[in-house]
Amino acid sequence: MKSLDPRVTRLPQVGEVKPKRPLDQFGTFEVFVQPKEGKPFQHEGPVHAPNLEMAYILAKETFTRRFTCTSIYVVDTRDVLVSPTTEGNQSAYELITAKPAGSQKKIFEIYQLAKRGKQHVNAGSVEADSPEQAMLLAKDLFNAGKIVYNVWAIEKDKIRFTTTEEKDLWNTLPEKKFRDASDYKGGDKLKEFLTRSQLPDTGIQ
Amino acid sequence: MNNEPVKELLYKIADDLLILGHRNSEWTGFGPLLEEDIAFSSMAQDKVGQSYAIYQMLNNLGEQSPDTVAFMRNANQFHNCQLVELPNQEYDFSLVRHFLFDTADALRWELLSQSSYEPLAQLAKKIKGELRYHTMHANTWIKQLGSATEESISRLQNSLQAAMPYALGIFEESPYEKEIISSRIFAGEQELKKRWLAKIEDVIIKTQLQLPDSKVIIPIYGGRSGKHTEHLQPLLDEMSEVFRIDPTAEW
Repeated sequence: MKSLDPRVTRLPQVGEVKPKRPLDQFGTFEVFVQPKEGKPFQHEGPVHAPNLEMAYILAKETFTRRFTCTSIYVVDTRDVLVSPTTEGNQSAYELITAKPAGSQKKIFEIYQLAKRGKQHVNAGSVEADSPEQAMLLAKDLFNAGKIVYNVWAIEKDKIRFTTTEEKDLWNTLPEKKFRDASDYKGGDKLKEFLTRSQLPDTGIQ
Repeated sequence: MNNEPVKELLYKIADDLLILGHRNSEWTGFGPLLEEDIAFSSMAQDKVGQSYAIYQMLNNLGEQSPDTVAFMRNANQFHNCQLVELPNQEYDFSLVRHFLFDTADALRWELLSQSSYEPLAQLAKKIKGELRYHTMHANTWIKQLGSATEESISRLQNSLQAAMPYALGIFEESPYEKEIISSRIFAGEQELKKRWLAKIEDVIIKTQLQLPDSKVIIPIYGGRSGKHTEHLQPLLDEMSEVFRIDPTAEW
């Protein structure tokens, strides 16, 4: 294949495609953040880590180095039961079927996706004998006929929470405005500079 | 009031934080994991921020402005211990230094939260959470790699061996040690060292690492009185390069 475009010439010849090697990297952990006291926790994203405690350490700076935060928690991605995802007028709760009941009651944190493309937000916790059962209970308790497109159930005992004494981890965070681009007021400075040097205003903000 | 003892104390704490903050920031973009790159860079930023707060205290005591003090001095005017100016080397060394230094730093601020010098006591309370994260981060990594693979254990062990004489240099006494202690500004380097040894032992004992015997190691002193390794001046040159082009520029 002859092309000047490197994206084309780098492509392997048809018939030469080799299977990829298995990924040599850590597993993932899901990170949930409470932005303000009294607000529900919301899903922020995953981190790679070798275990739960390392995940907590890495999650803190990956997801809460800007703005405000009062608490975070992390859980192994494999400990999140995910419902089917729906669209349009169909609610994800309609597609959940109960599994045979287990013998032990556990507490599950329930997360709902109210809008596609947004974050999953904590709806509350329920006591149930399986994550599927927890979702069905959550439908009656938290849903009130609203459409949600995806539901997660996470066993509470599997979560690494922020302890009461660790809450001071974010004490100085609101002061770290230097991490926020808008704090540099680049537009204002440019305007000032243009006025000072009497160059025509380019209108760049 | 004779301010020299407290100034000496403030300079050494601030210089340690500024120099290690700058060193650790050299990892930005090169960290072993994306998440760790961010965490290590954030902590470096915290350290520079803490040093700034202390340079402001010095400014209030009649010293030059924080920027001037940070960027216009030469190596022999810095009071940091030599541990913090050593090159980063590989990540094992940087992690071990982070663990040894930050444990001492957190304990120092714990003592300073009781300081009779009010600005220090206030800052100690304010940054408690930042220090908690720094030591949590260090302890978690040391526990993780200190019992992971043969390679990770031997790398950490070698770095521990190499860093220990410099780490003991953190506790080099000030010429004003007696005044600092008697006026209850700070409990003193000996008290800090005692607490530090107990704390690092607590962590090391949970790993397969061996803590070198601090009694037979000769500490490397000199940093507190301006004697430094050949590594400090190049760091200062790079750190202050932009500032020195135009020290009067407004940023």
